[in-house]
Amino acid sequence: MPAQDRALDPANSVKVDLQPDSPLSLISMSMGDSRASARGGATVLDLHMSLTLRNAGLRRVRGVTLLITTQEFAPGGKASVARPCIDVAPSQEFTLPVDVRLVRPVQQAGGGPLVRVQIDGVLFDDLSFFGPNKLNSQRAMTFWETEAQRDRSYFKRVLQAKGEKALQSEILLSLTKQAEHGQLDVALSRNGRSAGSVVSSASQRVAQFAFLTMPDAPVQPVQGWAEISGNEARSPEIEVLNKSSKPVRYVEIGWMVKDKDGNDYLAGSVPASSNAMALPPGQKSKLLPDTTLKFSKTGRPVDIQGMTGFVSEVEFSDGKVWVPSREQLKGSPLLRIMAPSPEEQRLADIYANKGLAALIAELNRF
Amino acid sequence: MKHPSESELALFAGNEYGRISRFLLNRHVRECRECTAAVARFEMLRAEMAVAAIPDLDWSRLESEMRANIRLGIEAGECVRLAPEVRSLNPRLAIAFGCLIVLAGTGVFMKNGSVRVERLSSASKAAAGPVLESTGDGLELRSGASSMTLMNHHGAVADQTVSAEGEIRARYVEGGSVTINSAYLE
Repeated sequence: MPAQDRALDPANSVKVDLQPDSPLSLISMSMGDSRASARGGATVLDLHMSLTLRNAGLRRVRGVTLLITTQEFAPGGKASVARPCIDVAPSQEFTLPVDVRLVRPVQQAGGGPLVRVQIDGVLFDDLSFFGPNKLNSQRAMTFWETEAQRDRSYFKRVLQAKGEKALQSEILLSLTKQAEHGQLDVALSRNGRSAGSVVSSASQRVAQFAFLTMPDAPVQPVQGWAEISGNEARSPEIEVLNKSSKPVRYVEIGWMVKDKDGNDYLAGSVPASSNAMALPPGQKSKLLPDTTLKFSKTGRPVDIQGMTGFVSEVEFSDGKVWVPSREQLKGSPLLRIMAPSPEEQRLADIYANKGLAALIAELNRF
Repeated sequence: MKHPSESELALFAGNEYGRISRFLLNRHVRECRECTAAVARFEMLRAEMAVAAIPDLDWSRLESEMRANIRLGIEAGECVRLAPEVRSLNPRLAIAFGCLIVLAGTGVFMKNGSVRVERLSSASKAAAGPVLESTGDGLELRSGASSMTLMNHHGAVADQTVSAEGEIRARYVEGGSVTINSAYLE
């Protein structure tokens, strides 16, 4: 309805709120073709923002997470936009897109900014961190950066040991894997609610997790189960043992499901529920998220026939993190099922769009 | 309080009622949270369909392809797809074809009253609490009649990861940079 569309005034609809001591400064904000439309009794806001930020600090920036809050539109949640795997030198600029669609009844309309954008975290090249960390973005960005270092190092080793052809083969393999990577659509809800799904209690059962063991993982899954009903999995529960000599403060178990045709999918992850988790060496703890996940593929429910778990991330109490090595992934069926790391995806994209020479130049930058 | 039926609310949401009926329904909907939510859901459905603009097309060619498919069945359809002139179709034709299928599906949906009421009741139940869902557009967080969708830039195809703790991430690469959108249930 173009007649009802009107250009948004960025100053009124969006507030970018950077802390005074932030290492990033806002250079400009473009609102692109953002629009507000009245559709019957609802207001639809399509915001297509582009934020240009400058590294105003003295260290190189390796990752940024922006917190997006729209309390009037999403009273039960919040969102973030992150840019990992970057290398922004002091005084350099970079641009981050934020695309949000908001829908609400007209009568709820109020004054003031509709969307608030804040920095939740900035990760530097020495893995130090700035920010309020409301979304635990420090941990997420540290994992992404650790994976990035692992994958860059792997591709560099391939280049040095076996040459350009071997690197090309590895990247082509990665691109093929990305193209073939199957994934499920998931709806998440709390306390047993699920989106648009009706299940009978008769079909409910408790299914055990099978576990894939990683020899050098500091944490070992011991046992786990979830309530399964058709395409829904409720309240997964996994017990883990800290095999390492250091206290652990976060564990994440990768979660694969098998459908009735025998296809495996990486369905998601079961993380430690509490931010204050402290798992001493040799002790056990339980991961108990109270959510329901409903799986579908191309609009059809995916009946869950089996579940497999594996340790995907561990954070120690000193802030150091563990992720599976490339060698471990290569020797397990996980490499086929797991999505590549953000950095591997980025490097493959550079190869696909700019060629082998650009990829080698990028690897040599680090 | 007597609530309007689902079909009345659907017609109301689509501006398909007369002035007087609309006025009367409007009074009820304004004061009833449940009906406001139902109307908003109908409007969202309509809005989503309206977003995909139908491009300028060679409708005669599209019509002949559809006729051929209907008449000759799937095998003949395969033959039509293999014909050289069809091979040169541009992506806009596929979008238009998709839109037509959506329109046809919606027609059936709107005609079949019993199915519609059942499905909409289910949707209304789902709207009772916040739900986080990955959609083709991005990550949608719904709560009652309001929603926020964190969209992938320029409709990029994203890899998603789900945390049972209440988070979905959508990751895509564009212009040599990775962007990771996340939405969280509180």
